[in-house]
Amino acid sequence: MSDYAVSVKNISKKFKLFHEKRDSIYESAAGFFQKKRHSEILQALDDVSFNVKHGEIFGIIGRNGDGKTTLLRIISKIYSPDSGSVDVKGRVIPVLSLGLGFHPELTAISNVYQSSILLGFKKEDISKRANDIIKFAELERFADTKIKNFSAGMQMRLAFATSVLVDPDILILDEVFAVGDINFQKKCFDTIMSFKKRGKAIIFVSHDMEPISKFCDTVMFLKEGKVGKIGSPEESIAAFQDYLAEHPEINPKGNISSSV
Amino acid sequence: MTSIREEMWKTRGILFNFAVYDLKIRYRNSVLGVLWSFIEPLLLLAVLFVVFSTMFKFEIPNFPIYLLLGIVCYRFFQNGTTLALNSLTNRSSTITQIYFPRSIPGLSAGITSAIMLVFELMVLGIFMAAFQFIPTVTILLLPLVLALELLLIFGIALPLSVLNVKFKDTEFIWGVVLSAGFFLTPIFYQFDMLPEAIRNVLQFSPMVQIVTMAHHVVLYGMLPSVNTVLYAVGSISAITVIGYLIFRKYQAKIAEDM
Repeated sequence: MSDYAVSVKNISKKFKLFHEKRDSIYESAAGFFQKKRHSEILQALDDVSFNVKHGEIFGIIGRNGDGKTTLLRIISKIYSPDSGSVDVKGRVIPVLSLGLGFHPELTAISNVYQSSILLGFKKEDISKRANDIIKFAELERFADTKIKNFSAGMQMRLAFATSVLVDPDILILDEVFAVGDINFQKKCFDTIMSFKKRGKAIIFVSHDMEPISKFCDTVMFLKEGKVGKIGSPEESIAAFQDYLAEHPEINPKGNISSSV
Repeated sequence: MTSIREEMWKTRGILFNFAVYDLKIRYRNSVLGVLWSFIEPLLLLAVLFVVFSTMFKFEIPNFPIYLLLGIVCYRFFQNGTTLALNSLTNRSSTITQIYFPRSIPGLSAGITSAIMLVFELMVLGIFMAAFQFIPTVTILLLPLVLALELLLIFGIALPLSVLNVKFKDTEFIWGVVLSAGFFLTPIFYQFDMLPEAIRNVLQFSPMVQIVTMAHHVVLYGMLPSVNTVLYAVGSISAITVIGYLIFRKYQAKIAEDM
């Protein structure tokens, strides 16, 4: 076996997209009776392979809809791949779409417990860390407030604080820096760097090329579900920018930050 | 695929935790909070009691207790399966953000309903005291009957929770099944009152067997007949196995169907 923290081999994933084109009352009535729906196969991921070493920060870049989140969900076991395998050494914590599976009707502290218990951590271990998590997230005043009253930034802070303080072996971060103020961002970066020093693997997705080029050791550019490039941050970002330049029609505004 | 069973076994310790969160969510924003789990069945049983004891004058000894015991047993089943039905669909954000064994919400719905059952049994005790009813010593077997019912709830909760993600129709069908089941279970009548042809079919209903056994041990001081026990254990085991297989078939893909 390899000594990679995460080893992804030949992952493919298809989704069935359903289209319902019912423009008239007659069509909707007919469509109600005939169960036939127009569907189309979307190849979200096509034969994707890569490895992440211990102590490596691995960045993933690509356009919206090119499979980044699907890939992260497969590594986190939320989706199962159609083919291929994922080998993960240790406990993974994903922070996807700014949350950690929080329930809007539970308080911040209850959610910290519920999510970490669901992720397989022991209740006693979390009890020891609960105060630190709230303190790290700077939410001392809101520990007993329900998540539904939280702003996106507060929710992300709580998710990030929980995910780092339960001390996983592999951390998956999807766009965590899109929200949150400068101070907290700095705290996140410091934490990520200390994780790296302790030999933990971090998989990091962002549309902002600045943190990608600054922190990542290796970057993968995901092109329409396939591996476009795996290499140093400069190489992969260049490949991504070339691709965007070649295809102005699919990305008229260019969702890539101009600071690079 | 033993891994799903292993996963379910490993997570048994956290089901209770999860069930308590469910109750908290259930009584959110209410002034009386968890007190409702006591007041709600008290009021509900009082209403059902008034309705059925004035409208149906069957010659059933100890009719109030007979009726309320049946209702409590049936509500246990109804609460457990209904909570399970929406246990996954209500947690779509959790399911799409982290991986955890998908059996947890469905099974913990069963535990939640068991906690609610404890309160309803307390209400039943109040009614027993009010009617100066002294149960027979065989009432000590009632927990066994209710444990068997909990197994039935687990066996139905698992497939219902995943089927309702895939087919929204499940919810409507199950609502009809529960309403029909209330009238097809000897709650406000005695099973012997039914024509034989109907009895022959209904005896396969696990809830008929459960409620019959509960009546036997609480009211009549009788051990349930061997036949009843065999029917009940047999049908409930079969349902649980089928339920588990359905769950296993659909569980891996539920995040995608959300």
